[in-house]
Amino acid sequence: MRIALAVIAAALIGLPYLGLPAFYESFGYLLLSAIVLATSWNVLSGYSGYFSFGHGAFFGVGVYTTAALAGKLGWNFLWTLPLAALAATVLGVALGAIVFRVRSLRGELFALLTLAITFVLATIALNAVDGGPGIMVTVDMPKIAPTASGVIYLMMLAAAALTLWTAYAMYHSRFGTGLLAIHDDEDVAEVMGVPTYRFKLAAFAISCALAGLAGGIHAIFVSYVTVAETFSIALAVNVVLMSALGGTRHWLGPAVGAIAITVLLYAFTSGNAAVVGRALTGLILIVVIVAMPEGILGQILKRFRDRAPARAQVARPFGNVNNVNTSGEPLLVVRGVAKAFKGVQALASVDLEVRRGEILGLVGPNGSGKSTLINVVSGHHVADAGSILFEGEELVGRPAHRIARAGIARTYQIPRPFPQLTVLQNVALPPMFGQVVMDRARAEEEAWRWLAFTGLDAKAHRFPADLNLHERKFLELARALASRPKLLFLDEVLSGLTPAEMDDALRLIRAIRDQGATIVFVEHVMRAVMELTDRVAVLTYGKAIAEGVPAEVMRHPEVVSAYLGAAHV
Amino acid sequence: MPSATLLGQSVLSGIFIGSLYGLLGLGLSLSWGMLRQVNLAHFALAFLGGYLTFQLSGRLDPFVTLAVVAPLFFLAGMGLHWFLTRFSVSLLNTLLVTFGLTSIIEAGIQWYWTADFHRMENAYAAVRWKVGPLFVSLPDLLTLGFALVLSLGAWAVLRFTDLGKAIRATTEDAPIAAAFGVNEKLLGYLVSGLAAAVAAVAGLCLALNHTLAPVQIYAWMGVVFAAVMMGGLGRPIGPLVAGIVIGVSEALTMAVTNPTWAPLVSFSLLIALLLFRPARF
Amino acid sequence: MRIDRRRALAAGGAILSTLALPPTLRAQGKPIRIGSTLPLTGPLASLAIIHKVTAEICVENLNKRGGLLGRPVEWVLRDDQSKPELTRTLYEQLITSDKVDLIQSPYATASILAAMGVAQRYNKVLLHTSFGIPKLAKYDMQFQTAGSPFDPENVWPNHIFDAAAKLPKPPKTIAIVTSKFPSVHAISVGAREVLKKRGLTEVLHLEYEFGNRDYGAIASRVKEANPDFLWGGTNGVDPVLMLEAMKKIDYRPPAQVHLFPAPGPMLKMPEAQGSLALTTFESHPPFTDDPAIAQFVKTYAERAQQAGIPYTSVDLQSAIMYAAWQVLEAAVTATRGTDDKAIGAWLKKNEVKTLFGTLRWNGPQNYVEGADLYKIKQLQQGKWVVVHPTQWAAPGAKVV
Repeated sequence: MRIALAVIAAALIGLPYLGLPAFYESFGYLLLSAIVLATSWNVLSGYSGYFSFGHGAFFGVGVYTTAALAGKLGWNFLWTLPLAALAATVLGVALGAIVFRVRSLRGELFALLTLAITFVLATIALNAVDGGPGIMVTVDMPKIAPTASGVIYLMMLAAAALTLWTAYAMYHSRFGTGLLAIHDDEDVAEVMGVPTYRFKLAAFAISCALAGLAGGIHAIFVSYVTVAETFSIALAVNVVLMSALGGTRHWLGPAVGAIAITVLLYAFTSGNAAVVGRALTGLILIVVIVAMPEGILGQILKRFRDRAPARAQVARPFGNVNNVNTSGEPLLVVRGVAKAFKGVQALASVDLEVRRGEILGLVGPNGSGKSTLINVVSGHHVADAGSILFEGEELVGRPAHRIARAGIARTYQIPRPFPQLTVLQNVALPPMFGQVVMDRARAEEEAWRWLAFTGLDAKAHRFPADLNLHERKFLELARALASRPKLLFLDEVLSGLTPAEMDDALRLIRAIRDQGATIVFVEHVMRAVMELTDRVAVLTYGKAIAEGVPAEVMRHPEVVSAYLGAAHV
Repeated sequence: MPSATLLGQSVLSGIFIGSLYGLLGLGLSLSWGMLRQVNLAHFALAFLGGYLTFQLSGRLDPFVTLAVVAPLFFLAGMGLHWFLTRFSVSLLNTLLVTFGLTSIIEAGIQWYWTADFHRMENAYAAVRWKVGPLFVSLPDLLTLGFALVLSLGAWAVLRFTDLGKAIRATTEDAPIAAAFGVNEKLLGYLVSGLAAAVAAVAGLCLALNHTLAPVQIYAWMGVVFAAVMMGGLGRPIGPLVAGIVIGVSEALTMAVTNPTWAPLVSFSLLIALLLFRPARF
Repeated sequence: MRIDRRRALAAGGAILSTLALPPTLRAQGKPIRIGSTLPLTGPLASLAIIHKVTAEICVENLNKRGGLLGRPVEWVLRDDQSKPELTRTLYEQLITSDKVDLIQSPYATASILAAMGVAQRYNKVLLHTSFGIPKLAKYDMQFQTAGSPFDPENVWPNHIFDAAAKLPKPPKTIAIVTSKFPSVHAISVGAREVLKKRGLTEVLHLEYEFGNRDYGAIASRVKEANPDFLWGGTNGVDPVLMLEAMKKIDYRPPAQVHLFPAPGPMLKMPEAQGSLALTTFESHPPFTDDPAIAQFVKTYAERAQQAGIPYTSVDLQSAIMYAAWQVLEAAVTATRGTDDKAIGAWLKKNEVKTLFGTLRWNGPQNYVEGADLYKIKQLQQGKWVVVHPTQWAAPGAKVV
């Protein structure tokens, strides 16, 4: 594999020196430029799902930075290239810093924003920088290759190498996994510890920087830039097409699509075939994407993946990680927490205490606010009022990913696994971002342990869609446990399970507590609550009305009336 | 300081062009929001409709042409929907497929009518009225009329009729809606066909008001996409309102300062609206 | 397919004509290959088709007359899809891979500049037709065949105002409305200076971005400014859109010029009648006094109709392409070869008589300063006729 790469690299670098007709270098430039643009788009939009329709804007910023500095002001063009990348990055970060803060700005709104930015920048460039006549960019090329085309080719080759390496590194790192998780379910990712704001901003910045760099080189290639050609919507659409054609979920996918489309477009440049060629291009596109819905590369990889046997690793048993401390000191102290949603007061004023090492049952009629309380503590929602102290530190107002880092985990009542990550990847994510930050290799090891613990190791390489409800609940469990939380919220894990499966689950939960975790156990199944919990708290209408040993609490008159109505005995 | 007449006329002008954006965006918004299909080919289809209107305008009144073209496009829309569902094309991939379709339609237009500009001669263009100091022309009014009728009509159908409720249910949760007896497939064909028929109407208005050239297909894409996304996917009145906002803000800019700044103002306004009142969307 | 049928006809015609000619005139031997690109698809395609049809006729005619240097001429055409980066790559392919003998012009400033860079690197002569900003043409061996002056921003406004001065009511107040398309914008900027020097008054100055769709506000502002003369720095269909917007508000400029309108759409518009425009050639005497040119006009009309082009008269766009082939033929014949250096040297020292005047390249950057071959035409009763300068005007035509 390494040797193959080295040979390819040598061939690519050596191209300008082979004495071939210069147009091979220019065509090579076109291919490489397409690869850079498609791949740089994908590291944000393909990975994280935040579709940008504004890649043309950042490309254009790069073009005009180099054009203005080298063309108008006569600077050495090599210096303008990092500046081109920088200008695009600064703009991207400025935009992203505002945009990503707005929580409701997802999906098509981000696309709209980036599209609008293209028009805005185009108008500014036209009126303030260009003025109308376009900018001429004639530069002296350093003589590092026999032809000028060769030099530009080498520059773009360097840019492409940088881009592909960046995409590869991101893909295989925590950063990439985090982005893929954001793609699937951003809220859950945040709660699992992924610093979503920072990651999105970083991905956006990288994407813009690479586009800007490609733009700077492009200014030199065409040597005359006008606004109309640079800030076109065509580029924005093309990068989407290239990435989708190749496969957006793999770091190399966009490159494959870029090569395919560029070759296709170039194949029909003969004078006679022009119009027919356009129609044929469209037809080929349709046929290919229908035959390969995951993209060319995506489809090929899928074929391999389906055939690869699931390697089950032998999981090492673990000793106690957290100190088994049943001292009974307060771990989580909730005081006066309130939360309202558009007029519905979900939590009125909740006072609750969770003691270290215990299993606390949290019960109450439907709609009493149990899930909301979990959401507020884990940071999914922000409390309107009150305080939540965890190990003495205030949690209210902290972003969810920092709460996860502090050692709090939760499961979801209706399982929310990341649909496009495998079972293993799902469970490996929290250890990467949880309390103890692990790198990918260690995180996967950790994941294997928890998969074995919950009995899911045989299905590690499957996708959540392939699991039944029981397995999905256990996946939720494994995922919550994988970050070795100090405090674990289980939100109705038993609902929908058969009695046998329930016993399984209860066994598991006891084992978890024996590992040293403190558990808050939200349940409706009374027998489980009575069997399992050390203490019970009851919520109704957003208030905690009782807290104590199960037997006593269940006899509390308010509790009885909350569940059963007035007593007539 | 520009006169009231100037401002008033500019606002009118902005409303009219905005209504054309809305008309072009209506079909796109419906199929994107309700069917999860991003139909890039909608623009090519609209222009094809315009060209067909132009072609037949020698012998037939443009509105009569519509009676021919709209049903044809309805069938085409159904055909597209069949293709996309038969091959279970994902949202992202519908972008690719319809882009390919756009290339094919564009090539077809260029092959038959060449890339050169075509202008439809019609009697309607000469008709205009004076309302106070302001002028209103018939083709503009027709465009606004169509846009209003179709947008409000779609909205009303979705809101008040059983059919509309069935469509909305399917959009929200197709399996559950099916459990309640809603025929998802049929509704999909209906929506897709209607979206394409609306494209035919948009094409008529394009032919009445503008010159036709294949390159125009891409020229309108950016701003109409913005209007569609701004207006909220699947909301029939959205593209119209957003289109008018864009049109009027640009027209006012052109009335008051150097027209070349117009896109800056309209799109900055869009961005500001998005950032400071995202809850609306 | 229409295009294939036409090509078959053309090929058949060529074969028949070679058989009909006396043997000495039959082109034979290794073909001379001439390569170029045109934007056959993409935003500029509407103009490329005119250039393509014209060039095909030129090549045919050349071969009918025995080719170049007795050898048949083969035109290698590629589609640059209106993208300058493709233009550059394709010209490199033509020169280094297809190894054509000579290159010809692509279309429009951006593509020509891209081709110019390639030509410079390989020391090829580049004849070009449609370059809008002469000062940017810095390559030594580039030669324009449009008859443009070195300083169009000075020369053309003067032309236009000279013609305007011949109007029954010579204008005093001017409204300038220009797009920001690079070449026309530069002319409009020049116009603002020129009109001041001529003692005219500018009452309005508006710029709009190329691709603007809504001309309502612009029309209202012009109406309000009430100029004697509307200077339209426009090209393509902008003039039509602008005039229609004005019609809607019951306004018609007393007199106007539009720099480079698409000729067809304006023909039947009542509001467009009387508009001036720039041109190099129109299909009427004295241009068509030469029988060869009259024949060309006839052939073009047929081919254009076959190709589906709406406007079938030869005018500016077709003429500058025709001239490019005239110049090529003259230079190759005079230097008796296809050596670019020799051709370049010859062109600098000589002149070529073309269908719209005599081209020279003996000024700055191979242009001529202060003088050009452009004329002013006017749309009169549905036809474009040259009205100024008088030696090129249609017989009996006046500025109305």
